[in-house]
Amino acid sequence: MDEEDIEIPVPINNELERRIAEAFEVFDHAGNKTIDVREIATIIRGLGCCPSEAEVQEIIVAVEDPQTPGSVHLSKFLPYVAQIITEHKYQPASPEQLLQAFQTLDQEQHGYLTKEYISTLMTQDGEPFTQDELDEMLEIATDPHTQTVPYEYYINQLM
Amino acid sequence: MQPTIHHQSLNHFSSFTAIKASLLIQKWYRRYMARLEVRRRYTWTIFQTLEYAGEQDQVKLYNFFNALLTHIPQPDRECDSTGTSRSSSYEDYFDPEEKKKLLHFTIEYPYTEKALVQLIEIFRKHRHFKLQPRNVAEILRRSIIALKKLPNINIASTSISKQITVCGDLHGKFDDLLVILHKNGLPSVENPYVFNGDFIDRGKRGLEVLLILLISLLALPGAVYLNRGNHEDIIMNQRYGFIREVQSKYRKNSEKLLRLIEGVYRYLPLGTIVNNKVLIVHGGISDSTDLEMIRSLDRGKYASLLRPPLSDSSTAPGSDTINKVEWKQVFDILWSDPQETKGCVPNTLRGAGTYFGPDVTKKFLEDNRLLYIIRSHECKPDGYEVCHNNRVITIFSASNYYEVGSNNGAYLKLVGPELDTHYVQYMANSGRRKLNFYQRMGLVESGAAKELKMQIMNSKRQIEDAFSAADPENTGYISITEWCVALEQATGLQIPWRMLKDKLVSIDPETNKVKYQTTFDIKSDKLNSVQGATTVVETLYRNKTSLEAIFRIIDKDNSGYISLDEFSEACNLIKKHMPCEMTQEQLEEICRLMDLNKDGQVDLNEFLESFRMVDPESRKKNQPGSPEPQESNISVNTLLQVNAPSTPDDTSNSSPPISPAMIKPLNLLPKIAEEKSDQNINGITPVNQENSVSVQVHTPPEDGQVNSMQTMSLQMSPVLSSRRGSQI
Repeated sequence: MDEEDIEIPVPINNELERRIAEAFEVFDHAGNKTIDVREIATIIRGLGCCPSEAEVQEIIVAVEDPQTPGSVHLSKFLPYVAQIITEHKYQPASPEQLLQAFQTLDQEQHGYLTKEYISTLMTQDGEPFTQDELDEMLEIATDPHTQTVPYEYYINQLM
Repeated sequence: MQPTIHHQSLNHFSSFTAIKASLLIQKWYRRYMARLEVRRRYTWTIFQTLEYAGEQDQVKLYNFFNALLTHIPQPDRECDSTGTSRSSSYEDYFDPEEKKKLLHFTIEYPYTEKALVQLIEIFRKHRHFKLQPRNVAEILRRSIIALKKLPNINIASTSISKQITVCGDLHGKFDDLLVILHKNGLPSVENPYVFNGDFIDRGKRGLEVLLILLISLLALPGAVYLNRGNHEDIIMNQRYGFIREVQSKYRKNSEKLLRLIEGVYRYLPLGTIVNNKVLIVHGGISDSTDLEMIRSLDRGKYASLLRPPLSDSSTAPGSDTINKVEWKQVFDILWSDPQETKGCVPNTLRGAGTYFGPDVTKKFLEDNRLLYIIRSHECKPDGYEVCHNNRVITIFSASNYYEVGSNNGAYLKLVGPELDTHYVQYMANSGRRKLNFYQRMGLVESGAAKELKMQIMNSKRQIEDAFSAADPENTGYISITEWCVALEQATGLQIPWRMLKDKLVSIDPETNKVKYQTTFDIKSDKLNSVQGATTVVETLYRNKTSLEAIFRIIDKDNSGYISLDEFSEACNLIKKHMPCEMTQEQLEEICRLMDLNKDGQVDLNEFLESFRMVDPESRKKNQPGSPEPQESNISVNTLLQVNAPSTPDDTSNSSPPISPAMIKPLNLLPKIAEEKSDQNINGITPVNQENSVSVQVHTPPEDGQVNSMQTMSLQMSPVLSSRRGSQI
């Protein structure tokens, strides 16, 4: 049990690693260089990557501490995430690509999607939203007068 | 999905493409939300760090000034039976406040439920309504009488009600109290409540909260249990806003009312036990918490925890009536925080109480045959949090505590024979239109950035030194890492500086280097206050309370003025800690310089004026001596320092006598930690090295006599003296 008390030194070699370590630190509540595995998605996305939920699971498998399941130590997290970022894995979509995605769904090119339609799409296809995620999205995205989602405006608002 | 005119199904094109598009949107959206969440987290960290740093400062400050008070020879020190209250004759006469502004409502004893409901309604509808001061005084007096009869630990039972509601910190947020009473009903024997401390400070309607709680206690017997929090303490109130609130609402009667409020604090019970199974205290426990001792001590002795009680019979050093062990017991239950790791260590972040681990909780519960502990004291985003294997519950009832949208409030219902826990969350709206997460984030963040800027300005000198050291060739730029390190070291604040850099400073996009001088650019657009409040005014406001606190300490006879004698006496004692030597003449000079209207005394306004750091704006306008100072950059760590004060060129009476810029801040408090190394300088070692801080008292020679150096040891609470680590 003494091993737990020994602090594992984690070398930080460059600005990128420092940035990752600092993001990690925000979620490290106990101050012992570990975080809860459920926060991985938030941290990685917070750093700029855009993995899908399935890809997040892959990352978790790669960095989770085999001895303490449910927690992740910085010593594993840091090099793995540094690599992901350097390799430009999980790049986020550009605004143009995002616009294209919306336009694909907007078959008749009205420039907007109805609330009902986008709700169905988001909760049934791809990696479905939870109700909370959907509600939060609709709150910002929906135009209160027409009750539709004018997607181009939405994208611009959030950029 | 009902058919709409436009889209119906995916029949028109390959569903594969549609799914890909959806996935892209979802991924993108989740990333966006994650980034907001990260911002929310570190903003939280900022607020919490600043808040606790402030609390720690406060404890330090008052320990130090307590030393001053203890060891300044008192000519005629009156100690009335209430112990620590500064005594002056109590006049039972109140000036009526402006009658036109008040409705003619009074609440008369005996207080009934009906009257209580009426008062709640009036407070709700009329935000500026105030009861007559005489009325308030009566409520307070009767509360003291009722509270005195209560035990140190309330005994509550759900045998009749079958349930009980526990509320945490309210901090003057009357709206949250209204939400709770609206959702959960008025207190009654069938619907009892425990209010777990921190009713006032920070929020603007602490008086309303306090009065309603006290009247509920008096009007509805057996329905309300009140616990004392660490903010039920006049010294905390000086810094965190409640004194200011009382003074602004009852300009002429604040002193008298505050004295009564101090009496209320003194007799508030320290905790509540429900069904002999659940302990409810404001802070937490420590590995030495002894419920029997807590039950049997005389809680009335502790008007303020930050200034231990003294008896006027103690003249010899070391012989005081402070029972350290007892004092620590009370401190621990009001100030401690749970921690994830095992063990029990002093709470260096707050400067008081402990961090207690899950093992401490387990042992305590076993030894006392309790099921779990409910405490408050820490703000939580969801309004509550459970830890230590479900054995410690934190409940926090002030929503929007740091900023609009920063957190939910919550209350806890304990239901049934097993006292099952049910949480109810809410967020008081107070008239703002409902904001989405993004907008709330923006507000909270700008609030945090503002506070942070203030702290940066407070440490400007140290930060500038660190910058210069990092940039020996004076290029004006340093690396991001150097900037982060400089700020962390100079301010002592462990927050994610790197993440905040874009909000605080300019970065050259090509070299990625920080133009560090822009750190002090207070007019940066990035700090656009969404709410429209001026950062500068708020800065002044905040620091004003610390300065007021210092003023009141120096003004021993409570006259509202600092005489030259009082001032030089105070300065003499702290002379040892000032970086440069100061003669008596220099001290007198400062005092004279502060006395703007030349009446031989320094009143509070003059005192504050002296600390004014003229900001660039007002320097341009050249408005010295204006009644409302524009900006103050002094933290609680500063006092006057004089660097060879030069007599102002124009000594004519028509022009303002002092240039405030002459008077610079003094970094006073860090000396406390360094005390131990200075002890042997004069060849005098203190009595007890382990748990004491030596305060060297040198009384100025009078009439040719040489007074001997007296070294007095102030025996401090073991918790406060055994600091560890390098926190602020």
